[in-house]
Amino acid sequence: MRSDGPRRLTAAQQYASLQTARLSGAHGSLRIGRLTWEFEAQPLPISRLYRVRVQYRQGATPDALVIAPDLEALADGRDLPHVYQQRPTRICLYMPGTGEWRPDKRIVDTIVPWAVLWLFYFEDWLITGEWSGGGEHPKVKDDAKKNSRDRRRRD
Amino acid sequence: MSFFVPWLISFTERDDKEIVMIETMSVQSVLKRAQIAGILERTCQELELTEAQFELAKNRYETAGVWLAESDEPLIRGAEIYPQGSMSLGTTVKPLGRKEHDLDLVSLLRHLVRSVSPASLKRAIGERLRANGHYRDILEEKPRCWRLVYANEFHLDITPSIPNLACGRGGELVPEKNRPEWKPSNPKGYRIWFEQRAQLKPRIRLTEAEFAKMRAQVEALPEPTAFKGLLRRTVQICKRHRDVRFSTRESRLAPISIVLTTLAAKSYAYCATHFSYDTELDVFLDVVRYMPAFVERRMVDGHERYYVWNETTEGENFAEKWNADPRLAEAFFAWHKAAVTDFEQLVLLAGLDQMGRELGRFLGEIPVNRAINALTQAVSAARTGGRLSVVAGVGLTTGTPAGMPVRSNTFFGR
Repeated sequence: MRSDGPRRLTAAQQYASLQTARLSGAHGSLRIGRLTWEFEAQPLPISRLYRVRVQYRQGATPDALVIAPDLEALADGRDLPHVYQQRPTRICLYMPGTGEWRPDKRIVDTIVPWAVLWLFYFEDWLITGEWSGGGEHPKVKDDAKKNSRDRRRRD
Repeated sequence: MSFFVPWLISFTERDDKEIVMIETMSVQSVLKRAQIAGILERTCQELELTEAQFELAKNRYETAGVWLAESDEPLIRGAEIYPQGSMSLGTTVKPLGRKEHDLDLVSLLRHLVRSVSPASLKRAIGERLRANGHYRDILEEKPRCWRLVYANEFHLDITPSIPNLACGRGGELVPEKNRPEWKPSNPKGYRIWFEQRAQLKPRIRLTEAEFAKMRAQVEALPEPTAFKGLLRRTVQICKRHRDVRFSTRESRLAPISIVLTTLAAKSYAYCATHFSYDTELDVFLDVVRYMPAFVERRMVDGHERYYVWNETTEGENFAEKWNADPRLAEAFFAWHKAAVTDFEQLVLLAGLDQMGRELGRFLGEIPVNRAINALTQAVSAARTGGRLSVVAGVGLTTGTPAGMPVRSNTFFGR
């Protein structure tokens, strides 16, 4: 344990807090220094029911994957916004280096609600073509092109 | 004991233990229905006359009324002007593809009798309006009325009327379309009749404990989650569904608003007094389902005849034209079937996007997208204000401190 700064949580502590959160359809597995946790996320009563898996290795950053339904299929050919990886979809929930997530924070208080929020904005994006959840894009050359494509809108 | 709560109308305590056998809906189903009702409510708000437009229209027709009343022409001197139809009922719906609402007004001449012809009275009103520089250039003649066209705002349609002395219910006489006679009508009586039905409260079958629990959860959802005036909203949704459906069909076959309004009001009164429901959305669905039951059918000379009676006067059958052209009756029944199918499948959809697309298909994309956008904004505002939580079994909530707070984050990545 480091004496400077807040105390890092172990995978077992993260696992225990996920277990007590009573998320619907939740189950997971814990091995030394590593955990997987799956749960059902439904952002709104009219939303789809999504299956989300959180993978965490102590000392690394947690990954959130949407296992079902297939988001790429729902996007119908459009590039998904705010993801690290398209299939299975690994979603980007926080800005690295800002302290939004740190190893001393509980996954259940951060990654889990953020995943639900991401899925809410995802369904909105499906209909509007615009990401209303805000956020940052890493600097890439074709960013401008992508944004203009995202902007094809109703009305 | 009875409570009034906006999203569930009313709750009656059960003392009969037998009735407790009725299985009520799961919390999830109730929440989903409340949210669908909320999106429909918001869509109606997008379609109706705004309060500012309403005030402006009132101002305009009152001014026109004074101008008519102060005429030296004995026929129209002392004219009273008042709204009828959707403006007086609170069921306005913006027409498809045009900015102006159509608002119907009656210009009542209390001192006139049947011997004055509708044509001469209408002519006198037209002349008086034309004599005013404000009205001269915006005046249009219609078969039964005069229209003042306020571009980008509304059309004010002024129909002349006189008292119907034969009607014991304070009815009036208005010109008949394409005929030289008067026909009975009762705009004021109809408004009261509609209002009486709108005030009925449907029965909701939930125990007090179920009710309290669900109410807390519904109230935590992003608003709105209830209809403001279930009968009015039902009428508006039916009218809008008709407008969208007939935008790609023969529009002269579209069921007229007064038929939809009357059938919805009769059906609503029946459903509210005969059944009990889990949610407002279920009341709405049943009211639409039962509408055709209030079309009276009779066999006359081997032909089926249809009647949708105006109960506030003698001899006004709102469905009279169906009997001259059976295609109108067919168009109504086909519309009704499509509306029921479209509305019923809403509860089976999953996904904000699916809900938005389906609603947009049959209520029009613009108002529905605005309603969806309002929901998104409500969530985003709660997020910014630190009021957003995730409650297990409910999802994102904006109105309760319970659940897991959604802490500040920045979505990253491409």
